Amino acid sequence: MPTDRTTSGPTATVRSLLDDNHFLLRRLHSLSGIVPVGLFVISHLFTNAQMAWGQDRVTGKGDFQHEVDFIHSMPFLYVVEWGLWGAIGFHAVLGLWYTFTGKHNVKRYSYADNVRYLLQRITGVIALVFIFLHIATLRWRWDLFGWFTPFYGKGYQNPIVPQAFHDVPMSLPLTAYALQISWLVVLLYVVGVTASVYHWCNGLWTAAISWGLTITTAGMKRWGYVCAGLFVALMTFSCAAIYGALSFDLGQDMTDDQLEVFELIVPESRVPLNISGRH
Amino acid sequence: MIAPNPSEKTFLVRIKRQDAESQPAYWQEFEVPVKPAQNIISVLQYIAANPTTTSGEDVEPVVWDSGCLEEVCGACTMVVDGQVRQSCSCLANEQLAKTGKDHIELEPMTKFPVVRDLFVDRQRMFDNLKKVKAWVPIDGTHDLGPGPKETPEQQEERYAYSRCMTCGCCLEACPQFTKDNTFVGAQAIAQALYFNQHETGKKLKGERLDELSGPGGVADCGNSQNCVKVCPKEIPLTQAIAKVGRQLTVHAVKNFFSAK
Repeated sequence: MPTDRTTSGPTATVRSLLDDNHFLLRRLHSLSGIVPVGLFVISHLFTNAQMAWGQDRVTGKGDFQHEVDFIHSMPFLYVVEWGLWGAIGFHAVLGLWYTFTGKHNVKRYSYADNVRYLLQRITGVIALVFIFLHIATLRWRWDLFGWFTPFYGKGYQNPIVPQAFHDVPMSLPLTAYALQISWLVVLLYVVGVTASVYHWCNGLWTAAISWGLTITTAGMKRWGYVCAGLFVALMTFSCAAIYGALSFDLGQDMTDDQLEVFELIVPESRVPLNISGRH
Repeated sequence: MIAPNPSEKTFLVRIKRQDAESQPAYWQEFEVPVKPAQNIISVLQYIAANPTTTSGEDVEPVVWDSGCLEEVCGACTMVVDGQVRQSCSCLANEQLAKTGKDHIELEPMTKFPVVRDLFVDRQRMFDNLKKVKAWVPIDGTHDLGPGPKETPEQQEERYAYSRCMTCGCCLEACPQFTKDNTFVGAQAIAQALYFNQHETGKKLKGERLDELSGPGGVADCGNSQNCVKVCPKEIPLTQAIAKVGRQLTVHAVKNFFSAK
């Protein structure tokens, strides 16, 4: 709607604030999606891919645990976390607003690029819902509809775990449990991760146009190959992570310490543990 | 009315009609004899001369807009079988063969106010050209002398943008350009670039970029790239959008450090 500057009150103030900073907000929306959120997702998926390598039979440590420990040892982790929330929140609020001001027309104009335009908006919404569910269950340990999938990097993070087990690495078993709890969770992760990765790679492609990096059709095409390559790489990481989580045998692969901590955290496992013949 | 010869082959034309912008739209169907090489305009002329629907009702002749009849003025742009295009360069036989249907559907463009039937008001496009100052500033009280030289390469690139006929296809197909928003769309952005690249037109570059960085400017583009695909003049519209995007990035950085 054309802005009506004659109206007053808080709505008009917000409106004119948005209009006066239109260009800045749009470019910050682009930047906030690529840099903080995007770079975090790359490192997150790379870390998760380490799950495919499993863990040491005796110590329970592995590449994945190593990466998780590294993240937990980072200084100012809460600042990083809140920074990410700020970036995601900003990107999501503006993104949703932009999404619903457009009017897709794929039915009439079914060009591949137009489908990509619509997909970018759909995957954005899916990614937002997925990220919320993912963090609510694994990070905040919310029990959503009985779907309790807690994540504790180490024993000490759970107050009910006795002192003796504080250093027991729990990253891999608990992530594996989170996914093995139901095929619906696996589906949620496959759909959510694919949507998020697509959204980021396609966003990287369109951002190059918006910022004026790729200014010829040939340049857009070449940059498209780079973005498609990134999509394949990130999806490979994601598949490796899901494979790692699903192939971990909770009954057999955990160390004795891990099994004890696991049974404390998850008193009634919804994944049957086959512990016969443990060595 | 001239009754169609029963031995003559005919086809149906469904037209979305509207008496005015404020009135509800309705569909009417007409039967038109097949003639070799007839375009949509001649089909509409036949209907104007024989304004009787297939249900036998005599109605007001259908209103449409047209000008050059050779796809250079843009006036006859409408939605033919769901796709925006110039109706003068649309041959009925080819259209029927393309869709494989026994009828052709005509609708007015959906992004502009309807004057009547297939005739829309494209004023917003001309207003947008004014907004982005799509001209060369040469008004003055004295002879400015000859303008600066342009290289053949520059001419070649700019010639593509000069082909724009303000028809509105790019805006009709754009998911970001709606009746109730202020987005200027590919047409005005490409024209802004056309004059930003002109050696004398460059004098207004800063003002054009200021306008295009505000609400409704280039940043509202959603990169669906429909514009470049439906453009009948094959103007590289997505390249124009990207190039203005680059000019805006540079403009914003310069402003950040040196604007007063």
